[in-house]
Amino acid sequence: MRQLRRFFRTPETVAGAAILVLLVAMALAAPLLFPRDPQAIAGPALLPPFQDWSLPLGTDRLGRDVLAELFHGARTSLAVGLAAAAAALLIGAAVGTLAGFAGGVIDEVLMRVTDAFQTVPSFLLALAFVSIVGPSLGVVVAAIALGAWTGPARVARAEVLSICERDYVAGARVIGMHPLEIAFREVLPNALPPVLALSSVIVAAAILTEAALSFLGLGDPNRVTWGDMIAEGRAVLRTAPYLSIFPGIALVLTVLGVYLAGEGVVESTAVRRSLS
Amino acid sequence: MSVLAVSNLSKRYRRGGKPFAAVDDVSFEIGLAETLALAGPSGSGKSTIARLVLRLIEPDAGRIEFEGADFLSLSGGALRARRARLQMVFQDPLAAFNPRATVARVLDDPLRIHGIASRAERPRRIAALLERVGLDAGLAGRAIHEISGGQRQRVAIARAIATRPSLIVLDEAVSALDVSVRGQILELLLDLQRQERIAYLFISHDLGVIRAVAHRVVILDAGRIVESGDARTVIASPQSAIGKALVAATPKLVRTSQDAA
Amino acid sequence: MTALLSIHDLTVRYRRDGIEVAALKGVSLDIEAGERLAIIGESGSGKSTLALAVAGLLAGSAEIGGTIGWSASQFQTPRSVTPPSVLPDISPARGEIAPSSPALQIAKVEEWEPALMLPISPLAGEMSGRTEGGAKDRQRLSLTNASIGGRDIGFVFQDPASSLDPVMPIGKQIAEVVRTHVGFAWPEAYAKAKTLLERVRLPDPESALRAYPHQLSGGQKQRVAIAAAIAAGPKLLIADEATSALDTIVQAEIVALIRRLVAEDGMTLLFISHDIALAATLAERIVVLRHGELVESGETRQIIAAPRHAYTRALLDAHLSLDAEPLLDRQGASA
Repeated sequence: MRQLRRFFRTPETVAGAAILVLLVAMALAAPLLFPRDPQAIAGPALLPPFQDWSLPLGTDRLGRDVLAELFHGARTSLAVGLAAAAAALLIGAAVGTLAGFAGGVIDEVLMRVTDAFQTVPSFLLALAFVSIVGPSLGVVVAAIALGAWTGPARVARAEVLSICERDYVAGARVIGMHPLEIAFREVLPNALPPVLALSSVIVAAAILTEAALSFLGLGDPNRVTWGDMIAEGRAVLRTAPYLSIFPGIALVLTVLGVYLAGEGVVESTAVRRSLS
Repeated sequence: MSVLAVSNLSKRYRRGGKPFAAVDDVSFEIGLAETLALAGPSGSGKSTIARLVLRLIEPDAGRIEFEGADFLSLSGGALRARRARLQMVFQDPLAAFNPRATVARVLDDPLRIHGIASRAERPRRIAALLERVGLDAGLAGRAIHEISGGQRQRVAIARAIATRPSLIVLDEAVSALDVSVRGQILELLLDLQRQERIAYLFISHDLGVIRAVAHRVVILDAGRIVESGDARTVIASPQSAIGKALVAATPKLVRTSQDAA
Repeated sequence: MTALLSIHDLTVRYRRDGIEVAALKGVSLDIEAGERLAIIGESGSGKSTLALAVAGLLAGSAEIGGTIGWSASQFQTPRSVTPPSVLPDISPARGEIAPSSPALQIAKVEEWEPALMLPISPLAGEMSGRTEGGAKDRQRLSLTNASIGGRDIGFVFQDPASSLDPVMPIGKQIAEVVRTHVGFAWPEAYAKAKTLLERVRLPDPESALRAYPHQLSGGQKQRVAIAAAIAAGPKLLIADEATSALDTIVQAEIVALIRRLVAEDGMTLLFISHDIALAATLAERIVVLRHGELVESGETRQIIAAPRHAYTRALLDAHLSLDAEPLLDRQGASA
């Protein structure tokens, strides 16, 4: 309760949370409100918005319902963003914990691998990965996670190194606990909070990367994505700018919402941590 | 017969680029159900010895024989299994437990790891351990950070005796406690020693506490043993300069008129 | 003797996670000018809260009631009123503890004023001295000098490491206090800093000026913290568990140092400790606190030899002196 109250203290986090709630509602409601395939033709091509109330945001070049596409696009954006961030955090936390806890050669090898990934621009990495393996939702998620796990890995390692100095890790060794159990049961849970603090940035970046991949035609072709919609609208940018503007606004708002809400979570938990 | 025999133990560190000996050629023995105290100013190597004996750090030279067998040659699973017999209680019981732990989990771990009790049997064993150290069995469900400092140190002792050790290293285990609680914890330790025949390596900077509970004392200075012997004899008439300084620096309470009363 | 400070019915409460904890419950106490007074108590007794309240460092969600009155006559030359730059944003006196007439000034501390959160855990119970969680957190309030209406108080915390800036040479830290409070220019402030380091008997004060805190031992750091605390020539020196983190030998040295400095400068000393034997070696008068209440106060000799209160007697009995009968024997006899 207290935490919730602290969370909703600032207008930014309230706005962020509101946007996120709206987005999740859109994603959940998409199959109910628009049960038809959003990629099917719904009316005349290039119908401007606010003309026909059965197609409130008009149609695109192929006569597809823009509003339905936006709703279904929210599903893809959210799914990819969350899945990629979760994968990145999981890989990063595991690698960082192992490196920090094991030390020595294992640490050295893992951190050099991390360096290698960090020096390659993550978007190029994703681009290369998708073009080799082929575009599908799972591959896009993997491609984005591939470039995003290094940050969490570094933070986790630093945190683990400091936790390993504490008495309770020595205590766990004294009672004969297996090193892997110490690493993942005693150390990792206590190293997580600062790692999780990165999640809002990673989710936001993942959503943008997904949009960029789709924009370049490397998204899952069987799903509507906002990046795809912007790319589609680009051909008729002069005559029908709304085709790019609507998904663009959705994208900006989503990233903003994720970021603001994430900051709110970090701040409210940071206060709690400093007190305990 | 000695429980622990340490001979020619040395550990060097580098400080500011220069090597210095944290522990320098230290030898001592602890007998069955005996309390040996390590005393000395900070930086004298007391805690380093504790960590060496527990193999939390590795020595540069020397030999540690525990229960008649070479303790330094053990590694991996064999070392972890052996740890059941050699336990530790830390100075700050809050730092010595995972901040997320509950009392039950803290006590469950050693029982599970060393296969002392089956899953079904463990809650009963945990309750018995809590009662053994003078705590209510109902405390098991509480989080570690919810209980008082004295209760926490009792839980730490319960955890240490869970695996029926022959030696417990007490690293300033009562230094952070209030005096009123300290007395009770010392009584508990002495009672356990009598009942379970546990030996203690008792590390403290407080000669008053050492004199109250230790059989023998070793006084350290700059990593070396400068004096050792019967605790009361050494404290009554220290021979080394550091021993004299420690005795002189201990606050004396002169309660003259109470003797008259 | 006149009272330097008159505390009347002081009550301090903290609120933590919705639970209200009373740290001090109506404590009344006079501190005489020039005396060495020890406040004794176990964890949760409110002894550190009392020290912070006197220094005006009580920040936190602390609700403060009662009065702390200063005798203005003790201060012929009012000092700089500049708040110390080294202190975080804590207005030293929450409430008008103002200097004025030469008579005994009773200043009203504002009733029940909520302020910044000050973490004192009610659960830190039974732990005093070295590792008390609450004490550690409080030290973040940091340095050494509080000026209340122009009167300076020197404050020495338990852990000197957390009251010294780790990335500033210690000479500069002390000189800064001198500059801010006495109004010296940098060269004079540095010269004064060197004198201060000599006074606290730091070996080689010249090079110590340029040393960083991590290059010093715990005892040396505490000497530096004491130098900073007396830099502005305070009338009152408060040492809050100042020797608890040190080993016995260094503790005795620091106690001797405090005794000498207090005598040389004619300071009043408020010595906060959990160790009644240690306090007895230094203080002329002892006040025993328990659960936020004043249990007993009196001359050191009387408190030690003939305590009136059972709690004081229990504290004395719990002391393990070097001539008491060892527990080991008592147990053996009962077995």
